[in-house]
Amino acid sequence: MRFVVAVKQVPDTTLIRVDEHGSLIRQGIPAILDPYAEHALEAVLGLKKPGDTVTVVTMGPPQAEAVLRRCLEIGADEAYLLADAAFAGADVHATAKTLSVFVKRVVPDATLIICGKQAADGDTGEVPAELAQMLGISQFCYVTQLKRNGDGFLVTQDYGDEQRDCRVPAGSVLSVAEGDLNRRLPSIKRYLEATALPITVLNRVQLMLGAYSVGLKGSRTKIVESHAVRTVRTGKIFDGTDPVKAAAHLKEML
Amino acid sequence: MGCESCASGTCSLEKKDGLPPGMLEQYRLSQSRADGTLIWLEVQRDAAGTPRLAEVSREILGHVKAMDDSRVYGVVFGHNELKPLYGEIFSLGVETLYEVHDRRLIPFQPEAYAESIAQIAVRVEPAAILLGATPRGRELGPRVAALLDTGLTADCTGLAVEGRILRMTRPAFGGNLLATIECTGFPQMATIRPGTFPLPAPQPDAEGTVIYWQYCGNSFKDIVASRPVTVGADQDITKAKVLVALGAGVKRSSIPIAESVARKLGGTVACSRKLVELGWFPASRQVGQSGKNVAPDIYLAFGISGSVQHLAGITAAKRIIAVNRDPGAQIGEVTDELIVGDADAILAELDKTL
Repeated sequence: MRFVVAVKQVPDTTLIRVDEHGSLIRQGIPAILDPYAEHALEAVLGLKKPGDTVTVVTMGPPQAEAVLRRCLEIGADEAYLLADAAFAGADVHATAKTLSVFVKRVVPDATLIICGKQAADGDTGEVPAELAQMLGISQFCYVTQLKRNGDGFLVTQDYGDEQRDCRVPAGSVLSVAEGDLNRRLPSIKRYLEATALPITVLNRVQLMLGAYSVGLKGSRTKIVESHAVRTVRTGKIFDGTDPVKAAAHLKEML
Repeated sequence: MGCESCASGTCSLEKKDGLPPGMLEQYRLSQSRADGTLIWLEVQRDAAGTPRLAEVSREILGHVKAMDDSRVYGVVFGHNELKPLYGEIFSLGVETLYEVHDRRLIPFQPEAYAESIAQIAVRVEPAAILLGATPRGRELGPRVAALLDTGLTADCTGLAVEGRILRMTRPAFGGNLLATIECTGFPQMATIRPGTFPLPAPQPDAEGTVIYWQYCGNSFKDIVASRPVTVGADQDITKAKVLVALGAGVKRSSIPIAESVARKLGGTVACSRKLVELGWFPASRQVGQSGKNVAPDIYLAFGISGSVQHLAGITAAKRIIAVNRDPGAQIGEVTDELIVGDADAILAELDKTL
């Protein structure tokens, strides 16, 4: 079986701060493997049996190789980087298009295609469903449990007001939410082996994609303007070293 | 004017379309005829299977009616049990309701739903297709967009029209930036964040047409079991007037104390993303960009450092009071008052005094 995990390189959003004008301070923010994607990869590695292949893929700048290396260290078997200047500025449609072509051309035998529930920077969570439709296969979003069930799989999906269990046919797209998934112990041996594994870089021409199918030109939405927003508060500070006094003060304010 | 090869002289060599002059402009033949708004009306079902129109669908209907006077189409999925909802749907401004009439579509089937909505969209040619950004809407929207080969803006918090062009606003980078987005073609698609627009007042005498639509495909999921999860009104963090929010700076033993404080104040307990990841709280309690936007009268944050994603979820709070050990915590930038001290101890003390 072959599992394909789509990952993303994101800025470490927990470290992003805003300056006094309300603009983002981006300098010095490290790029990391998206935590949701890492969670999805962990879920797959817990399912893996000898003979199975776990392929990771990301679309991004050449620096995104670092997150693929991290995936290999965690336990993926092979990695593909879809990098091309023409891919820049892609919206959901163009991103899903590029990934769908990658799946069709490079890994048409994928048993499952797994994504995170959303990316920590964009938060849209739309690529999995759009990818599934472009490939013409079914989708299972917000997966909180993933199990093998004979030749197929059994998932539990969480819709907030409903939880349901579904049988998953081979060749489906899953998006994985937080939940009790299959955790494993990391291995140091694996970590050392990973440095020797190759990362295949594919560009637009190698994927046989047209210039108007990808990136900004292939996008179906455009950002017409953006402005910073900032809420101003009084920002008083109260010394609460004595919990009794602090609690009394807090009670007064309620 | 013309080439003088014919008597009329009304044709023109410069015009390549071969149409009489002015016809293109008059009949707008080169433009899309798309008009009106198609809205997916999400139906939520309780444990007994009684259908109810989702709040976000009502909010969208109210906003579309106020924003634009073009035609409003609705799509619902289900069977005879939907009949009691018709009156309410028409009272909210739907003129034509497409009901995809199939028992097999009572449970959520994203593939079949998307195919049906796309077919209906081809029939009615709407200028816009709107869905609520609930978990189901967020799963269904991109599938429809891919089928119609059109653009989709997720999680909008603002919606305006200029002619037929939708201008959609959504927060980016943890709410520090508001981006205005347009689609490059028709139909334009957006999912709307719940709680963005006020609930409209129904117009009781409104009437409309129901059209039964047949789904002919066979894309059904093999659902083994389904369990409704009931979230009580007292547990809904988006409606609470008082929220006691806990972050990574508090001990796990403080959770029952926070619940007791919340009960005494007539509110409920919320949390930051970290505590959901630790498994201390269900995701339904999470405040922030990947959780829920809240708008309480008082937001009490204990041990929350305040990542931009978290702060994005509390901008609508009337008052924010934070307790944190670190006087430089980022949450201090948005609070009315920051109490610098031990969150666990102050929480315990507060519980005693109330």
